[in-house]
Amino acid sequence: MTLSLDWMIPLIPEEIVIIFALAALAVDFAIVRRMNPAVRWRVIGATACAGCVGAMIWIGRATNYGTSEMLALSPLTQFIKLALLGLALVVVVLSLDARFTRHTGEYYALLLLATAGLMLLISSENLLMIFIALEILSVPLYVLTAFDKTREASAEAALKYFLFGSVAAAFTLFGISLLYGMTGELGLGAIAAKLRTQPVEPVCYAALVMTLIGFAFKVAAAPFHFWAPDVYEGAPAPIACFVASASKVASFFVLAKIVIDGFGPIRGGAAWNDFRAGWMPVLAVLAVLSMAGGNIAALAQTSVKRLLAYSAIAHGGYALLAFFGNARQMLPALLFYVITYALTVLGALAVAGAVENSANGDRMAAWAGLGRRAPLLAVCMFIFMLSLAGIPPLAGFFGKFYLFTAAAAGQPHLGMLWLVIVAVGASAISLYYYLQVLKQIYAVPPPAGAMPLRASRAALFPIALLAALVIVFGCAPGWLLGRLSAVLNSSAF
Amino acid sequence: MSAPLTHYLILSALLFCIGFAGAVGRRSAILVLIGIELMLNAANLNFIAFWRYGPHPEALTGVMFVLFSIAIAAAEAAVGLALVIATYRQRRTTRMDQLDTLKG
Repeated sequence: MTLSLDWMIPLIPEEIVIIFALAALAVDFAIVRRMNPAVRWRVIGATACAGCVGAMIWIGRATNYGTSEMLALSPLTQFIKLALLGLALVVVVLSLDARFTRHTGEYYALLLLATAGLMLLISSENLLMIFIALEILSVPLYVLTAFDKTREASAEAALKYFLFGSVAAAFTLFGISLLYGMTGELGLGAIAAKLRTQPVEPVCYAALVMTLIGFAFKVAAAPFHFWAPDVYEGAPAPIACFVASASKVASFFVLAKIVIDGFGPIRGGAAWNDFRAGWMPVLAVLAVLSMAGGNIAALAQTSVKRLLAYSAIAHGGYALLAFFGNARQMLPALLFYVITYALTVLGALAVAGAVENSANGDRMAAWAGLGRRAPLLAVCMFIFMLSLAGIPPLAGFFGKFYLFTAAAAGQPHLGMLWLVIVAVGASAISLYYYLQVLKQIYAVPPPAGAMPLRASRAALFPIALLAALVIVFGCAPGWLLGRLSAVLNSSAF
Repeated sequence: MSAPLTHYLILSALLFCIGFAGAVGRRSAILVLIGIELMLNAANLNFIAFWRYGPHPEALTGVMFVLFSIAIAAAEAAVGLALVIATYRQRRTTRMDQLDTLKG
């Protein structure tokens, strides 16, 4: 018997990331443990960067696509993996000047393992793989959230994140088990085929709702959002960035894959006068609750990170609108939106982290006069906030525009227009709290004797880059959208 | 003569509900964790029952899923207990209603 390693070839990017995660541990343990913290963070951070860049280069060069029972490799999945690795790279760089822990090697190793989980999640074609990948992603994130031992909030946020996450995962597992019982299958395509041919029993709808709960938790859709504000506030700033950006992009992509590929035959309807059982009404309820609840709760926040968390819940609600579009339009619109949103929120949370480091807290008062104390950070935050609010010509505007048109045109007789009207109203509310932050930055004078805020280069460079990307994708949205449509057309989604 | 499939399903549904009631009703983080374990094991029971009574027991799909799910549940329990200990060290409590630094 010869040992064949062919099965490992399609997974090489994931393997590169995992090997570099172990390398980060080994380098820390063997070489830099006794050196001073600055050198240690740089050396191990460079190892982690090398892992991300290596995987990106491999993905850029590889062209072996294909689908098996468990995994799919298509231009689309590879494109999203590239985007996720890019986001992870930004988080790795942002972590370079973190000093909240002495466990540098473990920190980067867990970050890379979570990234590997994200990449597996994108490729999964089978509910077993999806569940495993989801846990490979979640478990490191729980630990990373608790990494800041200098603050009590960190462990508390992690415990809440873990308990909510595990209950949601248990619901998903139970839903999957019912689905397995009803169809006898675990592959998404096979489940869809069974649901199409055999009569759909009521248990299938219960299974559907339970399975979706786990994903509603991951994308922080109300009413499964309670962990989000705590994690954004309590977790170390780079980890909050990772949870808000990369984890969200992957979760939305997998949610789209599950409901369209797996649950396609029990779509149901959520049009104004045509409510039918299926996933559409479930997602419509989640979208309305998230948009209304997120935006209204954000109005009352005094911490900018919590404000961003509630705004993230609202943005999750907008993104759910894409699911009502027709198959051709919805995926480019959804992916354009979540990718540009991830860039924006990553930048905004990174600025919040820099402000928090210097001012010992991110309450609104800490932002007063930032326009004079740190002009570059303030300009970047200005761009991020306006993009989140959806002001043209920034990326956030086109993201929302594509989403809303996809949803409105997706159903016959403008059936989803009611949801689009709710979404437009909700984004009008959101303008108020984004402008509150900008008012603190530019209109309120800095406190007497305030020093200029000096952010490190490891924070400034990625933030400026993200701000530039938000402007570029706003001024030329066609490039990213065209690229997404192209990879979609050459994939079998 | 073994019990019919529905008995297993009723048992697992009951287990799941008891676990969920424990997870949302209990104040101690440890007891919440136990509730979560019950919910996961209810799902495992479902997989085994569906596999045993399903049309293709030779495919072993259900058993395979359960093996993975047990391993994942163990990893989750380890991380969960570690987080409980980390919280206890700082706050001297594991009661969820006393963990209220973060709110709003």
